[in-house]
Amino acid sequence: MTSVLLLRLAGPLQAWGSAARFARRTTENAPTKSGVLGLLAAAQGRERDADLSDLAALRFGVRIDQPGTRIRDFQTAHHADSGKSMPLSERFYLADAVFVAGVEGDASFIEALHTAVQAPAFLPYLGRRSCPPVEPFDLGVRPDTHLMQAFREEPWHASEWHRARTRSRRTLDVLLDSAHGEPPHLSLRDTPVSFDPRHRRYELRGITTTSVEPNSAPLPGTPPPHDPTTALRKS
Amino acid sequence: MTRTILDIHVLQTVPPSNLNRDDTGQPKTATYGGVRRARVSSQAWKRATRRAFDELLDPSDLGVRSKKLADELADRITAAHPSIERTAAWGIAAETLQTATGSKIEVPRRKKKDAEDEAPETAPESSYLMFLSRRQLDGLAALAVEGTKGTDDLNALKAFLKAKENKARARALVDTRHSVDIALFGRMVADATDLNVEASTQVAHALSVHAVDNESDYYTAVDDKNTEAEKGAGMIGTVEFNSATLYRYAALDVDRLRDNLGVGLRDDESPDEPTRRAVEAFVEGFIASLPTGKINTFGNHTLPDAVIVKLRTKRPVSYVAAFEKPVAKHREEGGFLRASCERLAAYVPHLEEQYGLADAGSWVLRIGSDTAALAGLGTEMNSKDLIEAVGAAVTERLSSGAA
Repeated sequence: MTSVLLLRLAGPLQAWGSAARFARRTTENAPTKSGVLGLLAAAQGRERDADLSDLAALRFGVRIDQPGTRIRDFQTAHHADSGKSMPLSERFYLADAVFVAGVEGDASFIEALHTAVQAPAFLPYLGRRSCPPVEPFDLGVRPDTHLMQAFREEPWHASEWHRARTRSRRTLDVLLDSAHGEPPHLSLRDTPVSFDPRHRRYELRGITTTSVEPNSAPLPGTPPPHDPTTALRKS
Repeated sequence: MTRTILDIHVLQTVPPSNLNRDDTGQPKTATYGGVRRARVSSQAWKRATRRAFDELLDPSDLGVRSKKLADELADRITAAHPSIERTAAWGIAAETLQTATGSKIEVPRRKKKDAEDEAPETAPESSYLMFLSRRQLDGLAALAVEGTKGTDDLNALKAFLKAKENKARARALVDTRHSVDIALFGRMVADATDLNVEASTQVAHALSVHAVDNESDYYTAVDDKNTEAEKGAGMIGTVEFNSATLYRYAALDVDRLRDNLGVGLRDDESPDEPTRRAVEAFVEGFIASLPTGKINTFGNHTLPDAVIVKLRTKRPVSYVAAFEKPVAKHREEGGFLRASCERLAAYVPHLEEQYGLADAGSWVLRIGSDTAALAGLGTEMNSKDLIEAVGAAVTERLSSGAA
């Protein structure tokens, strides 16, 4: 039986590029497998040229709890002598998004990853170094289960304002590694083979899109919602 | 493994200003908690911090980030041997840098007009900004002079650098004895990724704790020489701005900083003292610096209203989520500072208790009565004492073998 490690990926900004090169750094709509595995590898203190096959073999999935909005950042650098500004890059970020990402695999390996995430060897970030995660980041291990089950049982982690806005929509989109032999709904070149900066390599990953109704129990520690305007809206 | 990590939290109010603008001239923004916030990018604040180091550290501890490092290196070569001509020194410098970094160093293509005007020759440049420490440049200069035996013989240098051990020495010179700013902010060498240095800091984009709308200032300027017959403005335009109470956050991985600074030190040199200096400079530089965007237009020179520094043993923690729900201005007196401090004062102990976040030291610097709520979050100190206390606590942890 497999275990699942869940991470809550939330912060003002995050950036998950899959095909971003050179001056235009884009982001996908949800965390990529290479991004999250990179975060786990860094937590374990693996160097960039370390073997990743055990991580890449994990089943990966992500639930979109709050999709966020895309913002564009235009970055310039200034010439050291002339002070002239030089266009350097255009970077895209996801602002205000909340995801629950999970990896599924052998129980002892998942435990080891969980230990690493609690005291990471390299500081964790959400796709780009300037995007630190906010708490709660590490949601812990769900033993004897699989990804879809874990996503179903996990409460909805969206912010209060977002819940209020989307009261009627209770299903959340899930992007999951396609099962062996299953025709994928989409594919992305983001299964990392090597993070070696001399020769980064990624393989295609089949993705199955689905949706879940998350556990409706409120998050622990949150006060009951109080919004007097609901009464007005109903009438 | 026991870790030594610092996280720094700053609340800072800036009046109308445009610290960091996008390509349309608007101050940068981001959405958080469903509303628009003022944003100052991490790059902008890192640059401001790095510039503050010029006042805080010895030049030998710092690096130079430029395309024109060949010129910088040529300065050192001619200083050692004034008989070498400028253009010859450029050639020698370019050859040495090329061997050391694997990057092409070439004379930029001259514009037609310059050639016609017989403008003086220009120094060779790399195609991107390269970042080397001053000690690395000194080392390369010494190697270059050794290779030419103090003459301007470029062929002798080429033969010298062709030898495997000399090539390796050139390579090692730029991969050791990193400056404080390289050790903190990292280095990318596109043509030789094994020379990259991983940054030991993480600086988040600064965000306002409250909702912000950018405003536009329409201005006119009168021409002094206008006569009565020519009424009206000599020039009109607009400047965009906003004002904000910003939450700023940075984390510093002290173990990694020490590793970065320790590369290439002699056996009898401990990296602990340079690490303390670098930690203190980073804390002070991050707290007190300000990006200079439009600063002469708005004169928005402010200092933080409140600073919290935590020494962590496992991982850093950002408090930005305390402000996910935008802070509302004070009902009678206006302003966002008091409510922001009250937010943090309630949020921080709750967060630390819920997640069992231990800290090995906690310091607070605060100004005025609006920040009174923060008094309980750590030992209160003025800026100078706080920086020294953080430096001392870090040194003690490192020397006790905790790292």
